[in-house]
Amino acid sequence: MNQANTDDAGVRGSNGCMTRREAVRAGALVGAGLAVAGGTAVLARRAKAPPDPSGPGTIRSLPVLNNVPPRADEDVLLRMQRELVKAMAKPVEQRRWIMVIDTRKCVGCHACTIACVAENHLPPGVVYRPVVTEEFGEFPNVQLRFTPRPCMQCDSPPCVPVCPVNATWKRADGIVAIDYDKCIGCRYCIAACPYGARTSDFGERYTDGAAEGCPDGDDSPLFGANAPWADRPSNEYGKAWRRDGHQSPTGNARKCHFCLHRLEAGQLPQCATTCIGRATYFGDANDPDSLVTELVTKHNVQTLLPHKGTKPRVFYIV
Amino acid sequence: MTTLSTSQATRTPMAAPAAHGKRIWTPALWLVWAVCLGLGAIGMYQRIAHGHLPAGYGSYVPWGLWIAIYFHGVGIAGGAFAVAAAGYILALPGFRHPAALRAAIVLAFAAVVPAFMAVWLDLGHMERASRILTAPAFTSMMAFNAWMYNAFLAVAAVCWVISYRRDTGWLKPLLCLGVLLALMFPSQSGAFFGVVDAKPYWHSPLLPIMFLASAITAGAAMLLLIRGIIGVDSPAGYGDADPVIFTAAMARLRSIVLAGLVAYFLLEFAEFSIVLWNTQTHAPALDLVLFGPYWWVFWIVHLGVGGLLPFALLLTRRPGAWIVAGFLVAVAFISARLNVLVPGQAIGEIRGLQEAFQHPRLNYTYHATAMEYLVALFLVAVGMAVYFVGRRISKALAARAA
Repeated sequence: MNQANTDDAGVRGSNGCMTRREAVRAGALVGAGLAVAGGTAVLARRAKAPPDPSGPGTIRSLPVLNNVPPRADEDVLLRMQRELVKAMAKPVEQRRWIMVIDTRKCVGCHACTIACVAENHLPPGVVYRPVVTEEFGEFPNVQLRFTPRPCMQCDSPPCVPVCPVNATWKRADGIVAIDYDKCIGCRYCIAACPYGARTSDFGERYTDGAAEGCPDGDDSPLFGANAPWADRPSNEYGKAWRRDGHQSPTGNARKCHFCLHRLEAGQLPQCATTCIGRATYFGDANDPDSLVTELVTKHNVQTLLPHKGTKPRVFYIV
Repeated sequence: MTTLSTSQATRTPMAAPAAHGKRIWTPALWLVWAVCLGLGAIGMYQRIAHGHLPAGYGSYVPWGLWIAIYFHGVGIAGGAFAVAAAGYILALPGFRHPAALRAAIVLAFAAVVPAFMAVWLDLGHMERASRILTAPAFTSMMAFNAWMYNAFLAVAAVCWVISYRRDTGWLKPLLCLGVLLALMFPSQSGAFFGVVDAKPYWHSPLLPIMFLASAITAGAAMLLLIRGIIGVDSPAGYGDADPVIFTAAMARLRSIVLAGLVAYFLLEFAEFSIVLWNTQTHAPALDLVLFGPYWWVFWIVHLGVGGLLPFALLLTRRPGAWIVAGFLVAVAFISARLNVLVPGQAIGEIRGLQEAFQHPRLNYTYHATAMEYLVALFLVAVGMAVYFVGRRISKALAARAA
């Protein structure tokens, strides 16, 4: 008896290659497996309608600025606000929100960053609109350039297809939204964004480690660790989100959404409103008379990382 | 022919672990398990009590040690199953008995369970993990991967069950399907990173092949280690109780690990050489791998301990050295995962972003924290426990079937 036969001594095992019947079964199973996998991959690539409502039901008749007559020399904020109201009077699928940032006007004050943090109640480590500072030249001939970086609301968003649970999608008006109640917090979208525009809410609080003060409260005018403002809900996506008890958006990926909740109320994104240099413009690119359309068509605009093919909706005047 | 190659590999058949090895290794393994469990429990407490706060990853490096463990674990599972199932289908000496197959299936489960736990613990919302199966988006390689693992586990479980039956007309066909899945999901693990255009270091078509090569290498190395120190159990004195069969199996696994090491490092060289001679977008990440603060992970752990040393040990004719080599490859190959995972994230596309808004979690550096290491130990203990329980069940069922 050779060594190979020893292997089977006294026990049932595998003898030789497969029988014809086994080979047919194996071929069928492997073929079916490949067909299912391939079919699933192909079907998944079909375009899906966004889960948001669309059509006439999304038209908003907003009374904002009704009593303020337009003037030729009015602030651009007022003009953009009127244009926003006009855009909201259209169904959502007819709006194309874009942002234009004039880097020549940006002074790097970071007011937009902080306003965004305040508006969206962002915890430590979560930021939607940092302002990147670049330095050119050597001292004393130094020049600075400031580049605010909101979410680019890409037309080909790399963050969307990688989400394993359909928790993020491109809305009809172009905003890339997140459903905090669906997000599992895997952070794949964060890795997929070349702009670093998504950050994860790890559950930190600005009040972590703060003193609580005496029980009678006399020496804790700011409430220390129990500051009530820390638990105030944010209003992103038109819903009140409370972070206490590890509720969403704690544990989720978060990002700029052009202050969607403000748009629905006829208000400009907080960053545009707060910009002291009037360097941030927001509006509907589908409105040929809008300020943003005018700026994009008349100036030399660029997008960030155009070679990535993401087709951003944030344009920079340089 | 197989007998010939076996006898060439060693001068004399090696003493089987069933004879005396178990007595040596059992207390040591229990000790390792107890230490891992004890220390790991501290990490698990920290993870549960404090969430992600004690972890070192952040928003610019969103994945860390646990994700590397996850991909290493599923790689071992796929590789071990593919090797053992192919051996069974081809009726290779040392692999043709169902007991050898069952040992590999149990090993696959023991590798996958802690891997799943690793990625589960990494989620921001662990309670929603099932959504990846109930509401998947197959445009995501993560969802595709998750379904593939679960399909694999289902097929492997069915193979394990029917391996006890006399009518095995479906076993080999199912094993073929299992091998397909076991080859696909490690490749998809590479594609998981490869599809991310945002990270130039990941965006390489070689990555799925490298992940497959490392999976088969690490899986075969783990089989080598398991068979070397524990062996496979079966009634009627089969298998690793027989020195000839044991040596045949060890020699076959040694060849696979050797070939896998050569293939992996060749692929890695191909990837790196392109970058070294074309210092464009990948270059900063590769600089980090080769000359960054964790240079030793590549040069010492990955290349030295996980490559050259086991290669040299496998070239000897001493099966004892092969076992050591199997251990080194199975453990040190996690560095291959880390060297893909971390440097790929550590280079941002927008220069100056890290300084724009400063916070420890908005940082392109990553250092695993004590909590992450302790949880990793817990996962090792879980894997060992799953293997122990699975092996006991396999043994009991085999005895009953006999």
